[in-house]
Amino acid sequence: MKTWNRRKSMLLWLVLSLFFLIIITVSGSLFSEAARTTDFSRKNLLPCFRYPFGTDWMGRDMFARTLKGLSMSILIGTLAAGISAVIALILGLCAATLGKRADSVITWVIDLIMGIPHLLLLILISVAVGRGLKGVVIGVAFTHWTSLARLIRAEVLQLKESTYVRIAGKLGKSRWYVAVHHILPHLIPQFAVGLVLMFPHAILHEASVTFLGFGLTSEQPAIGIILSESMKYLVLGKWWLALFPGLALVLTVVLFYLLGENLRRLIDPNSVHE
Amino acid sequence: MKRKLLALLCAAALACTAITPWTVSAQESGESSVVVTMTTSSEPESGFDPAYGWGAGEHVHEPLIQSTLLVTNTDLSLGMDLATEYSVSEDGLTWTVKIRDDVKFTDGERLTASDVAFTYNNCRENSSVNDFTMLDYAEATDDTTVVFHMTRAFSPWPYTMAITGIVPEHAYDENYGQNPIGSGRYILKQWDRGQQVILEANPDYYGEEIKIKKVTILFMDEEASLAAAMAGQADVSYTASTYAEMVPEGYTLFEAESVDNRGINLPTVSAAEIDGLTVGNDVLADLSVRRAINIGIDRETMIEHVLGGYGTPAYSVCDQMPWYNEASEVTYDPEGAAALLDEAGWIEGEDGIREKDGLRCAFTIMYNPSDSVRQGLAEEMANQLKALGMDVTTEGAGWDVAYDKAQSQPLMWGWGAHSPMEFYNIYHTAPGSELAEYSPYANEKVDAYMDQALSTSDLEEAYELWQKAQFDGTTGITQDGDIPWVWLCNVSHLYFVKDGLQVAEQKIHPHGHGWSIVNNVDQWEWAE
Repeated sequence: MKTWNRRKSMLLWLVLSLFFLIIITVSGSLFSEAARTTDFSRKNLLPCFRYPFGTDWMGRDMFARTLKGLSMSILIGTLAAGISAVIALILGLCAATLGKRADSVITWVIDLIMGIPHLLLLILISVAVGRGLKGVVIGVAFTHWTSLARLIRAEVLQLKESTYVRIAGKLGKSRWYVAVHHILPHLIPQFAVGLVLMFPHAILHEASVTFLGFGLTSEQPAIGIILSESMKYLVLGKWWLALFPGLALVLTVVLFYLLGENLRRLIDPNSVHE
Repeated sequence: MKRKLLALLCAAALACTAITPWTVSAQESGESSVVVTMTTSSEPESGFDPAYGWGAGEHVHEPLIQSTLLVTNTDLSLGMDLATEYSVSEDGLTWTVKIRDDVKFTDGERLTASDVAFTYNNCRENSSVNDFTMLDYAEATDDTTVVFHMTRAFSPWPYTMAITGIVPEHAYDENYGQNPIGSGRYILKQWDRGQQVILEANPDYYGEEIKIKKVTILFMDEEASLAAAMAGQADVSYTASTYAEMVPEGYTLFEAESVDNRGINLPTVSAAEIDGLTVGNDVLADLSVRRAINIGIDRETMIEHVLGGYGTPAYSVCDQMPWYNEASEVTYDPEGAAALLDEAGWIEGEDGIREKDGLRCAFTIMYNPSDSVRQGLAEEMANQLKALGMDVTTEGAGWDVAYDKAQSQPLMWGWGAHSPMEFYNIYHTAPGSELAEYSPYANEKVDAYMDQALSTSDLEEAYELWQKAQFDGTTGITQDGDIPWVWLCNVSHLYFVKDGLQVAEQKIHPHGHGWSIVNNVDQWEWAE
């Protein structure tokens, strides 16, 4: 095992977690039909070989529902986090390159959004645009960009003072040209890591806003719906309805975190040679 | 050391205050008081004012604190409360009611006909929840006679008189809902918003002796209600079929039959855009499809699956009411349903779903996402209809959008009231529109029967006309008629009742799992 250095094991972790997440996402979408099928002849079954996560009060297969729910959460999280990261990149770049006034406006917006509790703002936005998939995606996208934007802004401010950027400026290159050709490439590691680390947040917030009833509608097997439904049946001793989907959600979030963390170590200049 | 002791004492005192309300009520029960739990939505938002829905709102029940002119008996025939006799003129435009002269409000003032007139005039002007537009004005001709002048004949008026609590003219202001004074069986002693209502027996009550002297109503959700029963803190604790197996020790399950029905609307016209809203549904506009649905669903299985058996099949919005027409009843006949569809040209395609001229036999049933029973019924219905070759999907829709969407898609509704007006509101064309309010439907003959039923002055004759509106031998709203709504089941209201408490005979409960149970709480009894 001498050949396994830290870099390699990190790479292995990264590939493994990526692999699992892809499996969850793909298999979830294969279970779309099974996740919604009700069959009252098999209701309230304990976990068994055929239904590893048991069935609920309408005889729905909880395993299929959990996988489908996770895959929906991952897709929604990816989409929302993607939009959010792009917003962060653009605003971060603008703040740093477009001069003092733009900078102060954007910093003010960042402070404003950061000042409001995440979940509260998320619920407000989701309800305002009509809930459902649209509400959740827009809500998550518009609340999660702030810290990444701040990070990118700081990075750009630093890069602006570096010699090669200043030389490019003195050589008569336009601000835009400098931003795209000299600053942007340096931001990609920060951006990629920030994006991946945003996934778990986005997924958890999607689940919680749906759990609270402000997100996806109840016929969809979203993980938040599954958990809020199972609350009612906990008092009846149907522990499996909440336990497995809950664990699965935690596991997914942890996988994403591992993915992001390993990615950071591998491409962040400060830790790449450790 | 002293400090520690003090802290300990403080903690103990706090703990005591925290549990006091519970322990007190638990101790007192067993004598002549009861603790009853109700859904949180049963708490009257605007207080105990009949003009703002107390007793006479969406969910009808006896107002307890106030007296009414009439009452409905357990068989839903009409009885007298304040009234001693009542009559209606030949043209149905004048109702004359004589009232008792020995009734006092709980503040000692006498209740006279002018209080009655004041109550009704006030309701007509201010009622936001009940329809009083048929009343022109009420007047007291002497101390014990009140005359209602109507704008139009309205035969179900006695049912309005049975739910409208009489308020005192001299003690009525905008805060009446918070401090109600009435002449009813109970006095409002305490109301902690969001928690409980305490009622005490009216010592000067003019009617039968009140056996239960104190009634405490706790508002809580289903889980808390179950927990309250498990801890022995409630004497009557409402519950749902999901929890019905978990009868706590020392309690028995009490099942009250209801006309709290569930059913879906089937839009009877083809889809079209009216004022930016889709109205109608191409598949359901076909009469054969609607008829096939009505006989193609197995209501007994549905009740077994979703309600755990705690319900009765429903064939109409007014099952078991005096105005119910038995022609509404159908038997489960899947072959007949398939034959109907075949005949109409709905032929099964490759995927097992029927088609007609390229139109798939597919539609969506919506349900309120916070109601698991309605969701279960929608899912079960979708499963059963799949066997008939219909592709039915389900969708959760909150009340903010459901009313609009129901104009073009079936929605899982809950209805049920002690008045034929509900039947009218569902099937009669809405004022100023060519279609009914909740789901697009119109039938001139049905409308005509209902209009006649309203304008007749004889209640018996009105019942007959209401029945004809359902089916007159050729047309109506039943299986052999237009079948614009399909009714599935009446959901029984379930309660855990503490052993030893004798809950008096219930009249069939209307929609709403709330105050109906205590309609006759004064006649409940504890075994010795």
